[in-house]
Amino acid sequence: MTTKTYDHRPGLLATLGRDGLIQIILIANSFIMLAPIVIMIFSAFKTNAEIFRSPFALPDFTNVTSIMKIWSGTNFPLYLLNSFIVAASSIAVILTLGTMAAYAIARYEFRGANFILLFFLAGLTLPLKLAIIPLFILMRDLGLLDTRFSLICIYVATGLPTTVFIMTGFIRTLPNELEDAARMDGASEARIMWSIMLPLVKPAMVIAGIQNAVPIWNDFFFPLIFIQKDSLKTLPQGLTTFMGEYGTDWGVLFSGLTLSALPVIVLYIILSRQFINGMTAGAVK
Amino acid sequence: MKKFVISAALALGSLASALPAFAADLTFWTWRQEDKAQYEKFFKEFNKDNPDITVKFEAFEATSYNTILSTALAGGTGPDLMMTRTYGGIESLAGAGYLMPLDKTKIPALEGFSEPALASETMRSNKTLYAVPAASQTMLVIYNKEIFEKNGISEPASWDEFLKSCEKLKAAGVMPFANGTATGWQNETIVSALTSSIMGKAFYEDLMAGKTTFNDPRYVAAIGKLKEISAYFPDGFIGLDYASAQQLFTSGMAAMFAGGSFELASFAKQNPSLKMGVFAAPSLKKEDPKLVGLFFDSGFAANAKTKSPDAALKFLNYVANKKFAQAFANDLSNVSAVPGVTFDSPLLARVAELNKQSIPYMTLVNFRYGEPTGSNLIQAGVQKLLNGQATPEQVGKSMTDGLSAWYAPFKK
Amino acid sequence: MFTTRLTGRNLWIAALILPPLAFMCLFLVYPILSAFAYAFYEWHGLARGEFIGLANFHKVLFEYPFSERTVNAFVHNIFVFFALMVLQNGVGFVLAYCLWRELPGARFHRIAVFLPVVLSTVIVAILWKLFLHPLFGVVNISLRGLGLGFLAQPWQGQDTTALTAIVVANAWHMVGFPTLVFLAGMQRIPTEILDAVRMETESEWVKVRKIVWPLVAPSATVVFTLLFVSAFNFFELPFLMGGVDGSPHGATDVLGLYFYRTAFGSMSASAENFGPGSALAVLIFLFIAILSSAITLWLRKREIQL
Repeated sequence: MTTKTYDHRPGLLATLGRDGLIQIILIANSFIMLAPIVIMIFSAFKTNAEIFRSPFALPDFTNVTSIMKIWSGTNFPLYLLNSFIVAASSIAVILTLGTMAAYAIARYEFRGANFILLFFLAGLTLPLKLAIIPLFILMRDLGLLDTRFSLICIYVATGLPTTVFIMTGFIRTLPNELEDAARMDGASEARIMWSIMLPLVKPAMVIAGIQNAVPIWNDFFFPLIFIQKDSLKTLPQGLTTFMGEYGTDWGVLFSGLTLSALPVIVLYIILSRQFINGMTAGAVK
Repeated sequence: MKKFVISAALALGSLASALPAFAADLTFWTWRQEDKAQYEKFFKEFNKDNPDITVKFEAFEATSYNTILSTALAGGTGPDLMMTRTYGGIESLAGAGYLMPLDKTKIPALEGFSEPALASETMRSNKTLYAVPAASQTMLVIYNKEIFEKNGISEPASWDEFLKSCEKLKAAGVMPFANGTATGWQNETIVSALTSSIMGKAFYEDLMAGKTTFNDPRYVAAIGKLKEISAYFPDGFIGLDYASAQQLFTSGMAAMFAGGSFELASFAKQNPSLKMGVFAAPSLKKEDPKLVGLFFDSGFAANAKTKSPDAALKFLNYVANKKFAQAFANDLSNVSAVPGVTFDSPLLARVAELNKQSIPYMTLVNFRYGEPTGSNLIQAGVQKLLNGQATPEQVGKSMTDGLSAWYAPFKK
Repeated sequence: MFTTRLTGRNLWIAALILPPLAFMCLFLVYPILSAFAYAFYEWHGLARGEFIGLANFHKVLFEYPFSERTVNAFVHNIFVFFALMVLQNGVGFVLAYCLWRELPGARFHRIAVFLPVVLSTVIVAILWKLFLHPLFGVVNISLRGLGLGFLAQPWQGQDTTALTAIVVANAWHMVGFPTLVFLAGMQRIPTEILDAVRMETESEWVKVRKIVWPLVAPSATVVFTLLFVSAFNFFELPFLMGGVDGSPHGATDVLGLYFYRTAFGSMSASAENFGPGSALAVLIFLFIAILSSAITLWLRKREIQL
């Protein structure tokens, strides 16, 4: 038996060759993934002439003219604030409503529970973009066009299905003992949910939060339709206006891109495990 | 009894509608966000002449203005007064009954307006005017005066001279044109800006009279010349977008930009030290008239359901008169549609001068009333032409065949 | 007493479940149902007109010039789907397999491959638009610098390269997603099975085909279905890179873009048209819904059989 395994073990050279090939593929890929981002960041510190002449060269990192132009010469800080307000409010509402629904579905037996879960799950696959005409008319009728509420409402509706899905799955795995003990002591259902169960679901909330936060933060489509006032634009939408304004002042353009990408990149590098788990949650069982 | 109630209601209603005529607050919508300060000044002037009427300015983003406006009008929350687009743009609003019909008895000053100006705000089906034409735009060639002087070039008198100047600039290491055609609609503007003179007035008249189509040799020749001069566009211009093209011109890297007079204000804003001139692209022969492409881009209209129709009419009369138009031209650099306006800016004065020899920017003016629009077809056709995938004949044919789907004179 | 207790509990459940349900109904279910209804009406701007039956559908499917544009866009979606199947899911599988070996540096490579995924499509689109700029783009500058100037192209101006450029940008943006989903699938393969295979064969290829590929079937189902949905929902990247008209001459037009342009109009060429727009939305929706369910069912069956 042992000899047999030995016979079949690939030679050292073969292993090295195979692993070498793998390393080459991985290094090449990481280079392709990172080079555009590095060029983008470098270019934010360069003048047009430098970008065109030597796009790959290290820049003088003290040259922040372009960055200052974006930060204080445009509405960039305002766009950033708008994106933050919209994303934070949406996430807060999504997690609240999503946890409520998931808790009810996962912890109580009642008629229709399965149907309601299916109803939420069906929402996972609905391409809401295609319903943009009725949504536009609905927002008009509700008087929400050109307000942040229009975005928050849409993001909550699109975020709920995945959130209910993730939270229900997680809440179902929680043990019954604590809950039953509290119920014996006469604690109200609300009390049980708030003080006993909720503290336990925090990890799932982080996952669901990230899963929603990234697409909401990055969304471009719904602001394109619902937001007209410059003072209400979100960051991705605002970026497209820079493209028109600073057509070939590429230093400024790259600064705009860098400033909007960096917060997400830094956060991602610090919390890469949570980001990856969050964004692939649902696709990975 | 019922009759009494109705007449009482009517009386009350007329009283209610009569009252605001003495003190009316009107709202005005436009897509020109950048003109806020000037409009507020205009409205203050208007208020001095009409102390009982105040006008409030509100602006929305240009790209979604149509949608916002028609939404608001459909929902009954539209403005009393508004800036409207022209041609097909006015028809979608007027056709739905949102706009107050106008005529020369309501607004006497319309008498002096040019025929093309009035046509731009008239609905074709009932021949009724729905807005006071505000401003025209001209398709022409904008050039950098300093580059022209440095290279000893002047405004070309003939097509050959035009090509020679381009050659000279290219040899001197300057891009002759800044134009790029990756942005769809830029393929339409260059046709009018560069080849209107070659098409000629007679072609346009025959086209309108139904005597010819875009297969006409005059049109095909014009498209062929466009292909010829595109040799002096930047390297890889078919992949160059609108914003980049603008910047090539304003940064002084290129000598000319074929486009609309609406570029002048934004060019000046991007580079205040730029010395610009304009000319009409020449025809093949020196003697032939040099034509620019002309269209009207905006007008002032009133809501059909405004609570203060009299006040709204007063406003429309005000904007149709020279006093307002003069300020509209000087403060906002518009080529006003009101007759007799003079221009402080020599550049605008020159544009107004060129307008005297023009043909319409026809794909926009005459062929945007059905699908596929003339704009769809010319944009696609020119992109194929410049990409080497279509001949000028094929462009003309695709226009004629495409438009025959809805344009009666082309139907066989 | 029994009933009051029950009511109390039911009330509590209702209080938990009704607000989220109401939100979903108002902003998700109602608009989608309305979208179906709207397609059967004539529209004047945003005002609904007459009921006109299937006229809008007839228009977008059979009448010039709409039918031509529908087919053109649809063909491009199909191209996008298959190109991304290779460039995104195919490459993703290979990368996942490489990462799975846990060689030194794997953690770094894993973080790197997923980094673009967290960026906004707008950033990706502008970045690639600048890189592919005919005069100043880093792609053409590099080619010229390497003495390969003849390969420099106006990438986004030629119908032969414009859509491919967008597909490549999308693959760069999203390849990390299938990679890490496949990787998670591979990591769940029990080590006993792997050890058993190692005794049978040393061919890497046989191992992948006989063991790894079948065992990551659930991941493949998810990744393929999601790609299908996103390929036929493609909008942001073509809109930002090719423009609303699908420049050049419709070479980058896809169904999502065409739907948007038909519904809301394009300032430079045509007016808004909600009727045919709604009909298109319904057709795209039905196409995606029916085919993605079929694909999922078919792939699921494959999972069980193995």
